[in-house]
Amino acid sequence: MSLDGGMMDPHAFTRILFQDFPSWEVSFFYLVGFAAIGSFIYGVYREVRKYLRGVPDARVIWDYAHIKQGIVAIATHRTLVRRDPYAGMAHRAIFYGFGVLFMGTSIITLEYDITSKLFGIHYWYGDFYLWFKLAMNIAGVSLVGGLIYMMVRRGWIKPPKLDYARPDRAPDAPDYDRSNYRIEDWLFLWILVIIGVSGFVLSGARMIWLADRPEVWDIRWWSPVGAFFAYGLRALGLDAEGAVILRQLIWWSHGALALTLISLIPYTKAKHIFTAIISLVVRDPLPAQRLPKVPEGQEQIGYRFLTDMSWKQLLHLDACTKCGRCHEACPARTTGGPLSPRDVILSLRELANSALQYSAVPEQSKLAMHGTGVGQVSSETLWACRTCMACVEICPVAVEHVPIIVQMRRALVEEGDMDPLLQKTLQTIHKSGNSFGESRRKRGGWAKGLPFPVKDARKEPVDVLWFVGDYASFDPRNQKVSQAFARLMHAAGIDFGILYDGESNAGNDIRRVGEEGLYEHLAESNISAMQSADFNRVVTTDPHSFNTIKNEYPDFGGQFEIEHYTSFVMKLIEEGRLTVKKQLGHRVTFHDPCHLGRFNKGYDAPRKLLEAIGCELVEMKRCKDNSFCCGAGGGRIWVPDPVGTEKPAQNRMREAASIEGLEVYVVSCPKDLTMFEDALKTTGYEGKFVVRELLEMLEEALEINLVEAEVTA
Amino acid sequence: MKILIAIKQAIALDEDFEIRADGRDIEEDFFLPDLNEWDEYSLEEAMLIKERHADTPVEVVCVTIAPDSADEALRKCLAKGADRAIRVWDESMEGSDPVAIARALAAVAKKEAPDLFFAGVQSSDHAHGATGIAVAGFLGWAHSAVVARLDYTPGAKEVVLKRELEGGLSQELRLPCPAVLTIQLGINKPRYASLRGMKLAAAKPIETLAPGDIGLATNDCGESGSLARVRRMYVPEKQRAQILAGDVAAQAKALAAIIREATGS
Ligand code: SF4
Ligand code: SF4
Repeated sequence: MSLDGGMMDPHAFTRILFQDFPSWEVSFFYLVGFAAIGSFIYGVYREVRKYLRGVPDARVIWDYAHIKQGIVAIATHRTLVRRDPYAGMAHRAIFYGFGVLFMGTSIITLEYDITSKLFGIHYWYGDFYLWFKLAMNIAGVSLVGGLIYMMVRRGWIKPPKLDYARPDRAPDAPDYDRSNYRIEDWLFLWILVIIGVSGFVLSGARMIWLADRPEVWDIRWWSPVGAFFAYGLRALGLDAEGAVILRQLIWWSHGALALTLISLIPYTKAKHIFTAIISLVVRDPLPAQRLPKVPEGQEQIGYRFLTDMSWKQLLHLDACTKCGRCHEACPARTTGGPLSPRDVILSLRELANSALQYSAVPEQSKLAMHGTGVGQVSSETLWACRTCMACVEICPVAVEHVPIIVQMRRALVEEGDMDPLLQKTLQTIHKSGNSFGESRRKRGGWAKGLPFPVKDARKEPVDVLWFVGDYASFDPRNQKVSQAFARLMHAAGIDFGILYDGESNAGNDIRRVGEEGLYEHLAESNISAMQSADFNRVVTTDPHSFNTIKNEYPDFGGQFEIEHYTSFVMKLIEEGRLTVKKQLGHRVTFHDPCHLGRFNKGYDAPRKLLEAIGCELVEMKRCKDNSFCCGAGGGRIWVPDPVGTEKPAQNRMREAASIEGLEVYVVSCPKDLTMFEDALKTTGYEGKFVVRELLEMLEEALEINLVEAEVTA
Repeated sequence: MKILIAIKQAIALDEDFEIRADGRDIEEDFFLPDLNEWDEYSLEEAMLIKERHADTPVEVVCVTIAPDSADEALRKCLAKGADRAIRVWDESMEGSDPVAIARALAAVAKKEAPDLFFAGVQSSDHAHGATGIAVAGFLGWAHSAVVARLDYTPGAKEVVLKRELEGGLSQELRLPCPAVLTIQLGINKPRYASLRGMKLAAAKPIETLAPGDIGLATNDCGESGSLARVRRMYVPEKQRAQILAGDVAAQAKALAAIIREATGS
């Protein structure tokens, strides 16, 4: 069906707005419409005012690349389909359905109220009108279909991540119960579904009412769902007269609901339409990898009051859609810790909504973020975080939890509110430059156990500077791995050296604890030691050191080209400087270290290495970006986990143990080796499979046969 | 109301260390200096009194008798919230024993006139355990050692405290102010001094005084003002243990031989 060559004037094919409405009804509609828009504008103003009560955010960059990545993410729904493809697809259906319907309404408004009235231009008729109808029908189906899936999901499937129960509150706490969130969720769904369905009913009723007019009835199949409803209503006995009444009724309810929705957007979860988009556009490419530097001359550090946050972070709080992806991924939450990243965000949101939404900013006590009151975040919650970044990485709307948590910890550190053991460790690191409390002089001691000398990079130029790190230097088990790496580099003929006692703890975890002053001290001392040495590039076996040297030292003036050993060795094999002599043939699984994988996307090199040495890799369910933290991050390696609860590393061992015939659980991080060898024992899987450092497997496969000397350190 | 706290920059040793050439101390290169552990507790106790009674102004003043290398310890105290820091030193004070140190501390106390004077029970390096009580001796104030709990309201005329005695006994005392108390570990939980806090404290002034400024004569200070003098510092030879066999008479005979050998008689 087309209008080409038809006998009628194409101008006849249109929909007459307010057809047969008495003029008071039309005026009344406009009145309500303006009220809705007024409410919307005021709400937006109130929200913007709230965000602007945060401090400026120097890390927000409004450039083409940032805006583009945000728009691409939104258009493709890439972040939404991850780990929840059906919900993501349903949301996409709703998003595009709603978007097209909204645009359609705007197109009509534009013609009716503007172009026709001001310039006498009409375009909403003829072919355009027909295609428009069809598009709106498809959009409506898409919207309603997506919404119905969401209802089924909330009502029947009930995934655990949509449970709003909080791990950080007792059930009798005033902000434990989140029934108002659930009411809002359902209300939102129902309003949208009713708007969508009533649109179709309206279209069907209009067809029955004007069935005798060919310009309406003959083109009914251009709005197929409308026509379907028309037949259905007719079958139910609706005639033209009844249709007039029904149409009037539905018209008003459809319109009233749509306007209500618009007026409510800034006041309800619907605001995520805007906040999520902005949040995605202003996302930080290195949110947890590169923590914020304290501006020169700023005395108070960390977040104490809501107004210490940046406007972007205040906006993040409102972008959260409670999707629960972060809640599900969080290792602290999974193992029963008093922390859910979602609830940190929601608590602060509730606090911001009660404190920052009025015309005046209240006194500071009402803005305090720390505490156990409604909307506050307790210190136990903050200290439970392992800064593993699983939350930030999976958040579909780019909420950046880790910097908020670390900034709040900075304030705790200033106040000395921390575990006494952590306090001791920090003092030890300050005093001796390492967390083991060993003498600085012994840092290079492990190298004495090698049959060749390891160059002192402070004294002679080297090609590769090896930044060893604390665990690889001092932990006896990891010293063996360090020696293996030294032998490997030696065999490949690499000219390398270490800084010996010129090296200190790299500071990655200290920064994540929130002891920024100590971090600055360590970073500056390492940077100056590195800058006074002569080398071309840096390599490390420690993903934690790797991350901070790569991403954070540049902020302190230290620009170094650094690689983790996995990609470094892979290149040596590819270049033929090392040859694999033996295929190990083990059935293995690989644990992605947070700081190598999620933080720095080093997923491929270790897998390629495993393939090269003939291992059969069986992935765990939680792998790569979804890798499950061993529990050591964020300084938690220095604080024992509470007794009687499962540790993250133990949880991980159970996951690995479910792999049929697993022989080796492969790690590539010194802290992982420590954490998992321990967890293997405590979970009783010892004897079933082993935990091995990839380096040791490489040495075996490369058959590097240097006499192994004992560590004499 | 004022609390004066004696502070010491105590020394921990690196694992391998060397004795100084004159044989009377350790080579400085091997020093790992830090605020004496006991002093962390006495400072914290003072800070708690200050914070618990926000309505009465309490001034917390730290004092050390040491060269400027001890400034770091004072800065740590300032970072933790002490209001002022005083350091008394000149070369004549080199070689002071705990009594000479106490004399200088007492002279500062006379000048500052605090309501309470705190010192640690002992220092973690030399462990004389004498300084605090010697200060009380010079001042003639009431005093108590090894204080494990303290009740004091700023402005009160007396202080109530609990001491730990040997054998699991406790003693409760009431002392008139001003009083000298030596504070035991575990009386509280010392707060953490963040590194930024310490850096910021670097901007706070440390009042430096010479012995003359507090009315001390040269022979009050250093070795001339001291009763004890370090003769030598050394790592004791590894001791051997030996079980003497035989009957009592045989054992006595063997023991006598050992004693004779050791005393060279
Ligand atoms: S960083 Fe890791 S531990 Fe911390 S809140 Fe996020 S997911 Fe949880
Ligand atoms: S913070 Fe992000 S991932 Fe977490 S619940 Fe909110 S929207 Fe979902």
